[in-house]
Amino acid sequence: MNCVELQQSLAEAEDASGSEQRAHLMACPACSALVRELNLIVAAAAQLQAADEPSPRVWNSIEFALRQEGLIRPQRPVVSSFSARWGAARWLVPAAAMLLLALGIYVRRESPPNQLAEQVSVTLPAANPSELNDEDLLQEVADNEPAMKLQYAENLRQVNESIREAQGVVDESPNDAEARRSLMDAYHQKSLLFEMAMGRSLP
Amino acid sequence: MTEPQQLKGTESSEAELIERAKLGDAEAFQGLYDKHKRRVYSLCLRMTANTAEAEDLAQEAFLQLYRKIATFRGESAFSTWLHRLSVNVVLMHLRKKSLPVVSLEETTQGAEEDSPKKDFGGEDVALAGSIDRMQLQRAVDSLPPGYRMIFVLHDIEGYEHNEIAKIAGCSIGNSKSQLHKARMKLRDLLKMNRAEKAGKSRAG
Repeated sequence: MNCVELQQSLAEAEDASGSEQRAHLMACPACSALVRELNLIVAAAAQLQAADEPSPRVWNSIEFALRQEGLIRPQRPVVSSFSARWGAARWLVPAAAMLLLALGIYVRRESPPNQLAEQVSVTLPAANPSELNDEDLLQEVADNEPAMKLQYAENLRQVNESIREAQGVVDESPNDAEARRSLMDAYHQKSLLFEMAMGRSLP
Repeated sequence: MTEPQQLKGTESSEAELIERAKLGDAEAFQGLYDKHKRRVYSLCLRMTANTAEAEDLAQEAFLQLYRKIATFRGESAFSTWLHRLSVNVVLMHLRKKSLPVVSLEETTQGAEEDSPKKDFGGEDVALAGSIDRMQLQRAVDSLPPGYRMIFVLHDIEGYEHNEIAKIAGCSIGNSKSQLHKARMKLRDLLKMNRAEKAGKSRAG
């Protein structure tokens, strides 16, 4: 094998491990150096894999295109932003919801008058709006929307008064469907007030 | 943590990102991009030797991937799928530019240049020790497009000749021949670069 034949064989076999190739390389320093240098290049080539980083422009363009094509879809609102805004007051919405649920169960239950009166004494005191930390709610409003504090205080006073009046009628006439509906409406008004205070829609 | 465990963790994390991306989760799209951007972009850059073109092609490759991600069933590795898609995007681009993916002319020219006895300015500069990454990168960028593509696919990205033959639409023999010519050309370029440096340092 001569030098030209060795090169031709390198192109076909990719390495110089054949017996004829090895024999030529032992005798030819030039071809031996050539093979050594080619191996050095092959070994160095791996350094170039994943060596470079694209500019931020690339991702920005991809994201823009994905949104335009509707491939990125809006996700559900993140709870943490709500929590960050309202902090300790975030428990008020579920509390109001629980209150409505408890009252709904109570008024819909078909019970004898004496049992209904007993349930009122068990259920309603725990759900009494006066125990719903109205002061905490007003404090949150004062912290976040100071100008609205008086408005909220007045709304709370009115809705609490409505609840007390409706409660009085229900206590006197437990089987009065209209009175029960008025009481539910009053609680509903209060829950809406809490929702508005949570920033969904200020009055 | 052992290496297989790390690998498993990486795979499950990628599988989760893929599932979330199928649902249109923006963070998942970005997560997949961050994991693979360097490899895809580097491939595009090596094959085009042009940063602006490489960025456009990387963008196109990821967009094509995301448009098809709902069809990914995990039969093959995600990275393999993305890589093959990226290569196709680059080859399409080169063909549109009428650049030869495999050039017979280059092969013929290469045969004349491939003498192992070739020297530079009468001085034989040996490629000893290690090859600097930047020097090699510049040399690869200087290769004719046909040589460059075969060298990038085989020696950098690890494709086999039969795969390259399918991708580039040439014979396996042609792929092998072009690779050898590309390596020989690189050797010449690197030696030339070292000879120039040696000349400058002597003059300085």
